[in-house]
Amino acid sequence: MLKINNVKKHYGEIQALHEVSLFIPKGSCYGLVGPNGAGKSTLIKILASIIHDYKGEALIDENVLNRGLKEQIGYIPQDICLEEDISAAGNLYFFGRLYGIKGKVLRQRAQEVLQLVGLSERSKDKISTFSGGMKRRLNIGCALMHDPKLIIMDEPTVGIDPQSRRYIFQMIEGLKSKGCTIIYASHYMEEVERLCDHVAFIDKGEIIEKGSVSELLQKFAIPSIFIRGSHINSEVLEQYGSFINKNDGYLLSTQEPLNAMENIIKYCRQNKIDIDRLELVHPRLEDVFFTLTGSSLRE
Amino acid sequence: MNAIMVMELKKHVQDRGLLFWMLILPIIFTVLFIAMFTANTDDATRQQVILSIVPGYVVMFVFFIMISMVSAFIKDRDKGMTTRVASTPISPYFYLLGKWIPFMCIVIIQVIVLFLFGRLVYDVPLGQPIILLILSIFLTFTVTGVGLALAVIVRTENMGIAITQIVALGGAMLSGLWVPLEMMPDFMQAISRFLPQYWAHQAFQDAMAGNIVFTELMQTLLILFGIGIAGFVIAILRYPFFLKRAVH
Repeated sequence: MLKINNVKKHYGEIQALHEVSLFIPKGSCYGLVGPNGAGKSTLIKILASIIHDYKGEALIDENVLNRGLKEQIGYIPQDICLEEDISAAGNLYFFGRLYGIKGKVLRQRAQEVLQLVGLSERSKDKISTFSGGMKRRLNIGCALMHDPKLIIMDEPTVGIDPQSRRYIFQMIEGLKSKGCTIIYASHYMEEVERLCDHVAFIDKGEIIEKGSVSELLQKFAIPSIFIRGSHINSEVLEQYGSFINKNDGYLLSTQEPLNAMENIIKYCRQNKIDIDRLELVHPRLEDVFFTLTGSSLRE
Repeated sequence: MNAIMVMELKKHVQDRGLLFWMLILPIIFTVLFIAMFTANTDDATRQQVILSIVPGYVVMFVFFIMISMVSAFIKDRDKGMTTRVASTPISPYFYLLGKWIPFMCIVIIQVIVLFLFGRLVYDVPLGQPIILLILSIFLTFTVTGVGLALAVIVRTENMGIAITQIVALGGAMLSGLWVPLEMMPDFMQAISRFLPQYWAHQAFQDAMAGNIVFTELMQTLLILFGIGIAGFVIAILRYPFFLKRAVH
């Protein structure tokens, strides 16, 4: 549905995107993951048709992305773009009108969206009285007023409470089940892992890997074991694989985790070393990113 | 465009600061300065001072709308609203027009209120009211056109405020809004002819006295319209750069 071919973008001397190519299937939830400054927001703004001065091409259903296609896109920016002294309904009307929705249809759609974002009872209240999470939800609602088929979300859960986060996840799952295509940019790996079926890792303006979440986990995430004990040290572990310090213990990466666990238990029994905790660690996207870049996402 | 206009108007109606800057402050200044300059003067002089100060202060204070215009654009830029609106199908022309027209409404209301105040309190003559209205509309167009250009050019609100002060106060001083033009040096009188304030002030005074001639009126309207259009063209040309700053 959405195709990006060799997209390049410079800000003066700084190269924000370098030959980025992606194919985003219709109806999928596609995660864009990378650290701050990786180029996610630039790519998102190109896809939302805000940035036009780039090289390469972006196509929606084989049509070159331009102003005429904006009605198909709902863009949810990282910033909360709401008018603080206007009511929730007033803000929704504003964005609805920008897409040419009027009169009864506008009011009806605003009510539907308010219900969707769980703010029906606050429709007449000014935004300045809302919590951060409520503002985030309404920020998403504003992009849904014109019922877009492609929804582009740029860090939609930054700085919100768990309740609102859960609400947003439910909303996204609802949009997915309706067949909307969603692009979800975030640096929260656990969110991407939960919501997205495809993911592209972006770092320093380049797509370093892309694919379905399960494929990437299988391909790149090395199984690991977490071990903690008062006398467990590097001497004990170095014979079984590479390891790093984590949460007062060690994270041991090995291709044969079960064998390694068995051997560690045996070794500790023989040498009367107590083990407080020993567990198999389920591979995560965070580990994929670490494998690919050699650095953690939040570094 | 209507969406932007409606939203802007709603915001302006709630903005009490705007009411102070656009109406209360000019009225206070008009009253104070008339009191100062007419103390111990005869009736003829008093009338002459009033006839200069009322339209003069109207012309001077309408320029302060530029501060509000700069502030509105910079706030939109900094909170991401400019970028957000750019993701919608609305074109930059309509975005600029949608932001511009509400400010024109404010200025036209300001001009009418200030003239009515002059009429009710100081009994200033409104000899050619229709021409006064036409002049007010053109002056509004000019001021807000310049304001629009300034709003998309300046990088910070403070820079906008500083330039507005220079344009409004410097222009007022050079155009004879404070001191009668005849009392100013020749070179300053020559400079004044390049300023919209001079033309608007002269035309307002003539129209109030009921003796503005057609060619003079047309000349003034053309100058005011030209400056306003130049402002809009500059704003259109500069908008992509403004959007770039908003996006990054």
